[in-house]
Amino acid sequence: EETFTWKVQSHWPGASSSYTDSLERIKRLLEERSDGRLQLQLYESGALFKPKDTFNAVSRGILEMGTISPSYAQDKMTLAGIASGLPFAFRNVWEAAYFHQGLGFEQMLQDEAAQFGVYWATDKVFPTEMVVSRPINSWEDFESLKIRSSGVLQKFLTEAGAAASYLPGGELYSALDSGIVDGAHWGAAQGAASMGLYEVAKYHVQPALNIAGTDVIIVSQKALDELPQDLQDIVKQTLDEQFWFRTNEYQYKERVALANVIANDGVQVNVLPDEVQARLVQTAQSMWDAEGERSERAQQALDLLKGYLAELGYL
Amino acid sequence: MKALTAFMNGITRLNDFIGRWIALLVFAMFAFLLLEVGFRYLLNSPTVWTNELTQMLFGIYAVMSGGYIMAHRGHVNVDLLHAKLPPRGRAVVDILSSSVFFIFMLALLYFGYDMAQESISSWETSFSAWNPPIWPVKLAIPVATALLTLQGIVKLLQDIAIACNLSYYKPQDEASEGEML
Amino acid sequence: MSIEILTLLFFGSLLFFLLLGLPLAFVLGGVSVVFLYFTWGFDSFYMVSSQIWGTMGSFTLVAIPLFVFMAMILERTGVARDLYRMMHLWCGGLKGGLALGTLGICAVFAAMVGISGAAVVAMGTIALPSMLERGYDKNMALGVINTGGGWGILIPPSILMILYALITGVSVGKMFAAGILPGILLMVLTAIYILVRSHLQPELAPALPKEERGTWPEKFRALRAVLLPIGVVVMVLGSIIGGITTPTEAAAMGVLGALLSAAVYRQLKWEILREASVRTFKLTGMIMWILFAAHAFSAAYQSMGAQALIENLIQMIPGGPWGIIIAMMLITFLLAMVLDPVGIMLITLPVFIPIVESLGFDPIWFGILFVINMEIGYMTPPFGFNLFYLKGVVPPDITMRDIYRSIIPFVVVEIVGLALIMAFPEIATYLPDLFF
Ligand code: NA
Ligand code: NA
Repeated sequence: EETFTWKVQSHWPGASSSYTDSLERIKRLLEERSDGRLQLQLYESGALFKPKDTFNAVSRGILEMGTISPSYAQDKMTLAGIASGLPFAFRNVWEAAYFHQGLGFEQMLQDEAAQFGVYWATDKVFPTEMVVSRPINSWEDFESLKIRSSGVLQKFLTEAGAAASYLPGGELYSALDSGIVDGAHWGAAQGAASMGLYEVAKYHVQPALNIAGTDVIIVSQKALDELPQDLQDIVKQTLDEQFWFRTNEYQYKERVALANVIANDGVQVNVLPDEVQARLVQTAQSMWDAEGERSERAQQALDLLKGYLAELGYL
Repeated sequence: MKALTAFMNGITRLNDFIGRWIALLVFAMFAFLLLEVGFRYLLNSPTVWTNELTQMLFGIYAVMSGGYIMAHRGHVNVDLLHAKLPPRGRAVVDILSSSVFFIFMLALLYFGYDMAQESISSWETSFSAWNPPIWPVKLAIPVATALLTLQGIVKLLQDIAIACNLSYYKPQDEASEGEML
Repeated sequence: MSIEILTLLFFGSLLFFLLLGLPLAFVLGGVSVVFLYFTWGFDSFYMVSSQIWGTMGSFTLVAIPLFVFMAMILERTGVARDLYRMMHLWCGGLKGGLALGTLGICAVFAAMVGISGAAVVAMGTIALPSMLERGYDKNMALGVINTGGGWGILIPPSILMILYALITGVSVGKMFAAGILPGILLMVLTAIYILVRSHLQPELAPALPKEERGTWPEKFRALRAVLLPIGVVVMVLGSIIGGITTPTEAAAMGVLGALLSAAVYRQLKWEILREASVRTFKLTGMIMWILFAAHAFSAAYQSMGAQALIENLIQMIPGGPWGIIIAMMLITFLLAMVLDPVGIMLITLPVFIPIVESLGFDPIWFGILFVINMEIGYMTPPFGFNLFYLKGVVPPDITMRDIYRSIIPFVVVEIVGLALIMAFPEIATYLPDLFF
């Protein structure tokens, strides 16, 4: 029987927990379930394509599979802004999960990605949380912060009154250490720990800046179509199952990672004062509408989200 | 023959002209980085645009250097064999090895153009907090590759002239070539 | 075709076209395209332009033109020349004194930059003409610059160490701390080599003739020349350590310092600045086109299954734990001659690190050995990138053969240093254990 070998470009560096837990898991399962007829060849972040070009490479069918963050596909996917997380929309991970799988946001993403020959499967939903080198106990504290950020969250933090700037990941540690910035977000506890940020910033800020499907697995539709039907089904089922498994597992590992740095590195959880939270939520909501303006589809998704949040009693 | 000479001189002058202007971008990169340090450190309000603009200018600066450097023989090589060969032998060897150069250039030209065209078709922006258009930077790749390829053709024509003793190109004194910078 | 045979063909064609005299950038790019065609097909050429696009977007590389520009201004305005005059007056009868001074400047420069290309080109600009003018043998001068320019990746800040930490999960702070003593060790060893060699062969690094050594007042007046360079260094290092700028932005502070120095020398003239900008463009572009092609080359090599090759190689190594460590060093060293640092790390570290840890070695210590091996690879003929960067700044009468020849004893010295750090891991681990 014919065997297929897929090149898979990751956007996670090898030391990232998701490289093992998400990518190597999917490789193991697919190879097992296909009796070795489908083989995955994994490449670390940047090995063949830079993260921002991986969507294009998969769309062109040069790569069979890849992992991205929705923000790397912004110029193609008008839903990417909502997918990568509107600030202060969800308060619990399960809410975001239900929005994707129960209310049909995942299907909307798949429909839009299909226009570019890409099969979209969110790997997991998880929170993005900030670490800061001095605690935020008042609105003044927040406004005095210089924060390393990127994309929509950079715009949000700036609009809210902090000074957010972009620095490349490689300069982040030194910048926090020397006080060029006082805070940063890199995933949540696991991400910050993997970058060594807790060595130089001891306060872990909660609640999350956003909760969203920030990690996505993309498959070239062309490569998928070339598989026999049973293999196609295996790929799709495994990806479906991956979402639930990884969302749950990631939350567990977040808690363990946080407990670990609290115990061993003297990290403290800094819960934002109510006053600060209220003002952040206000700024966030005023920014959401801009994402709906990108397309009819994006407007639909935004309406769906707002209805849902109203139902949950948040709006 | 005259047209050929004019073409060769024209391309070299074009690359020289463009290079001398692009070289000035280093002042802009310097100024913007300094500005960012000033805004952040003195005024405590970093900008959203300086680092990204600097980055974009750097991209154009770096890629557009190819043709200028070729015109001034600034792409470094190993000259062990060159040093042992007479000028005609050197020209013949260079003609043969230029095939590898042209393969690289054609691949880059084809996909650089493809990439730029895709970017222009959506007037691609960076989707950062500042969100500037980035298609001009992508466009720089095929433009720079075309300039470098043309300069490579000039070099090939020179080598052919030297190898076959043709009249359209008189090799310059090596020393004066070095003096140009 | 197996990856072993592909590797031989791939590196063989690299060597072949390089010896024919085709510039390194085009050899790397062209050979990648040819091999991609046979292993992955026409569409994969998209990867080549994609890699170039990615390299254009790498923020840390912005430091290259700025540091080179800084060096150009210091050289053109005479600041660098006066600095060397001062060193020569003060070193007086010491043979090899200028080479030692150059090493010192290299170490300071290494503390200012995190990437290696910028340091080699900048030091080549500042130090080479001054040493040649004063009768230094070109082999001595070239070797010192090449070896000292390479320290930028070992002495913090270092982009390579940050990448190593990112890929392996060790602490960046510990890596930085671990680089300090090995950096000093290499400096001391190189200094000893220079002193011994110039004592045995004074014609290589002549002392200043007695009648030119100057009087004490003259020496003190010359000392003023050191003020401006120190000012520049303070501006750069001070703004990094003081949390005013990132290492990349610090390069702009360096340019500012150089411009202020030029003003003090009354040399802040448009013609000088314009000429400096054009030379900066030429040198930065030379480095960047090599990097463009090197990134395409690494990606092509990885797509062919380079990692599988490394896995197979490591499994075949006899000789127990130390045999494996030495084999890893050797592989890193060989790859460093042809691949960019990120490529090497992506190919090797995922294979190396689990083995290193399971053998009970300290990954911080291994990281230092790894970085030194890369540094040695970058300065070793025939492919070492630093050799090409240096070739870009030397006068036309210095050939690649001269550069190749000059570097050999310095490579040997670095290998001695490497062996010492292998034998006495405390050299690397003492400071991180102390600080953290
Ligand atoms: Na993540
Ligand atoms: Na350094």
